[in-house]
Amino acid sequence: MKNKVLLGLLVVTVAVVFLVGVCATNSLAKDKIVVGMARPISGWMAVIGDSAFRPVYETWVKEVNAKGGIYVKEYGKKLPIELLIYDDKSDVGTMTRLTEKLIVQDKVDFLWPACGTAFVFAQAPIANKHGYILLTAEGGATQVKEMLRSLPYVFVGLSFSDWYQLPVFAELLGEKGAKTAYIMYVGDLFGIEYSGVAGIEFPKHGIDIVGISSVPPGAKDLSPIIKKAKASNADVFCCFGYPDQVLPATGTSIALGFNPKAWIGGPGANFGFYHTTFGPAVEGVMGFTSFSPKQSAAAKELADKLYAGKPEEIQDFWGHPLYWASLEFWKQAIEKAGTLDQKVIRDIMATQKFKTVLGPTWFENGLMAKECHTGEIGQWQKGMFEVVGPKKHATAKFVYPKPPWPKPKPKK
Amino acid sequence: MDITTLTSKKSLVWWVIILIIFILLAFVPLYAPGYAAILLISILMYVILTVSWVMFSGSTGYMSLAPAVFFGVGIYASAIIGGKLPFPIVVGIGGLASFCLALLVGALTLRLRGIYFAIFTFGLVMLMAHSLLFWELHVTGTRGRFVIVMGYNTIYYYLLGIFVLLLLTAYLINRSRFGLALQSIGQEEDAAAHTGVNVTMLKVTTFAISAFFMGAAGAVMATKWTYIDPFIAFNPFYSFMPVVMAIFGGMGQLFGPIIGAVILTYLEEFLITKFAELYMLIFGTILVIAILYLPDGLVGLIQKMWNRYSERKHADT
Repeated sequence: MKNKVLLGLLVVTVAVVFLVGVCATNSLAKDKIVVGMARPISGWMAVIGDSAFRPVYETWVKEVNAKGGIYVKEYGKKLPIELLIYDDKSDVGTMTRLTEKLIVQDKVDFLWPACGTAFVFAQAPIANKHGYILLTAEGGATQVKEMLRSLPYVFVGLSFSDWYQLPVFAELLGEKGAKTAYIMYVGDLFGIEYSGVAGIEFPKHGIDIVGISSVPPGAKDLSPIIKKAKASNADVFCCFGYPDQVLPATGTSIALGFNPKAWIGGPGANFGFYHTTFGPAVEGVMGFTSFSPKQSAAAKELADKLYAGKPEEIQDFWGHPLYWASLEFWKQAIEKAGTLDQKVIRDIMATQKFKTVLGPTWFENGLMAKECHTGEIGQWQKGMFEVVGPKKHATAKFVYPKPPWPKPKPKK
Repeated sequence: MDITTLTSKKSLVWWVIILIIFILLAFVPLYAPGYAAILLISILMYVILTVSWVMFSGSTGYMSLAPAVFFGVGIYASAIIGGKLPFPIVVGIGGLASFCLALLVGALTLRLRGIYFAIFTFGLVMLMAHSLLFWELHVTGTRGRFVIVMGYNTIYYYLLGIFVLLLLTAYLINRSRFGLALQSIGQEEDAAAHTGVNVTMLKVTTFAISAFFMGAAGAVMATKWTYIDPFIAFNPFYSFMPVVMAIFGGMGQLFGPIIGAVILTYLEEFLITKFAELYMLIFGTILVIAILYLPDGLVGLIQKMWNRYSERKHADT
């Protein structure tokens, strides 16, 4: 009996220590700006996070801190940025919990975004509920437009389907006289959205959708779909999927000799590794973009900062410039506010313009204004991912029809 | 502590301990800062999944990898009817939907044994995710749903309530002839059948009862995740974690899975926040060591050490 009482006391003590440990809070000194993030360091999203927002924020924070940090008038000095990063394991449940931890327990000064559209959708209401600004990175969808009305603290920096990629793409195709299109899309939110928006935009420019196929995420053999697309004799082939679909779709198109007049695939064709994988065969392939180093001295400088001396694989002409511009915008909003008060900074972000790598930049109803984008549609031409649309930002003329794929080498 | 000791008069002290722990837990949101409740929500979620899993798999020896299915059904129930009906009914429907699915699946598949049953249940997670994806793609034309958001304290108390109900159910099952029959299935199913135990009915019923609690927990947790889609809801991760937690804690005792779930959730939280880059490496190493050197789990080890200590003490006197 005595033993049991002792053991019982031990159990209660452990329980109390545990609960007290859980309840303990950290206090953070105010000689720096602490930015918290729940990012996919492990799990299936890690490869996306590592190549998308991560290289941008790492380079940007290093650069800002090298100059002393962000000047905040309230403290009369520059405050360096300190990142507090947790691993969400590519799991939404863990991400929401860690976001709450960053806000409620760590009391970080700012929250930076999780990775992926679904993750952003789950994170945005939490950030908004706690009055934390959330400037998103990897993620954006038409659905977000409706959502943003009720989320005043959320700002979306990435361009997406009808903001304003596919309207530009459809216009380019219409001008060249494209008449038919075949759409292959990955069976998720992204794929549904892009195929849906194409269904609205293509007919406006006289393009009929002659075939549409969805592929489940993880499908490896795309040859049945590419064969169907080839049989449809469509002028345009759209692969609305991730690199996991875009790369095999490209390889299968080359292998089966399916060479439509326009071939677009994204996100996938916009990455440097796409060119590294297929080499000169990518000539004429299209994708989504937001800038070209050729556009301005600032664009060239950014490209040098991010890519000079590094392998081509890490390049991303769609996301990187927009993430960078978002961070520049955010910094200037803080400096203008002169405080770390989220409400004051939010009001400035929602109403004011700042100069970023893209030029004058502002947000409209929580979305980065489409007028700020310095490109929507890109095309591989002579080893460069050129901006071909909209025309006012084009660095090269849209080549239509695309040149044929190189002929497969005969087997020895 | 063996479950049978709970019934003896000597075990009064254990009841008092359990009561004290539950009183402490009931007051956590009142005196603790916000994050304590948030972390305890995660812990309770894993505890419920693990204890529910052990309720069926621990006693019958059937390795079910279906927790993610039943958890996901609850999540989707909450996403679809949340906000339209009072929340307790939503949670009840989440549990009942899982219960019914488990009855159906159990009746069809519980004749499979060993690895076949494990693989089937794992396949079910994929089947559910892809079926829902197909449905949303071709019927509703959407993918992903926003879930009505609830306060942390509400979520916490719902989970605590489900946990208490689950413990009572597990205790009553263990105490009953039903529980004895289940154990006989675990030890030798054919012999159990020959002695007149209706093995199929027992297995299916227990499978469905355990699914009820997983579904109810899913319905509550969905409100914390705010946005879900088929792959978020039916994540195989939620099938593996209860198994790992149960093995780590020790399956022979009622408190083994609870301790396993609490420690591993806390450990995971510690690692992903303090050693984000090394989380998987450290977590994996600890699991390998635990599985290699703790055949009866952590509780088994503690019990062994306690027995050794008691024996030595008695030997001295």
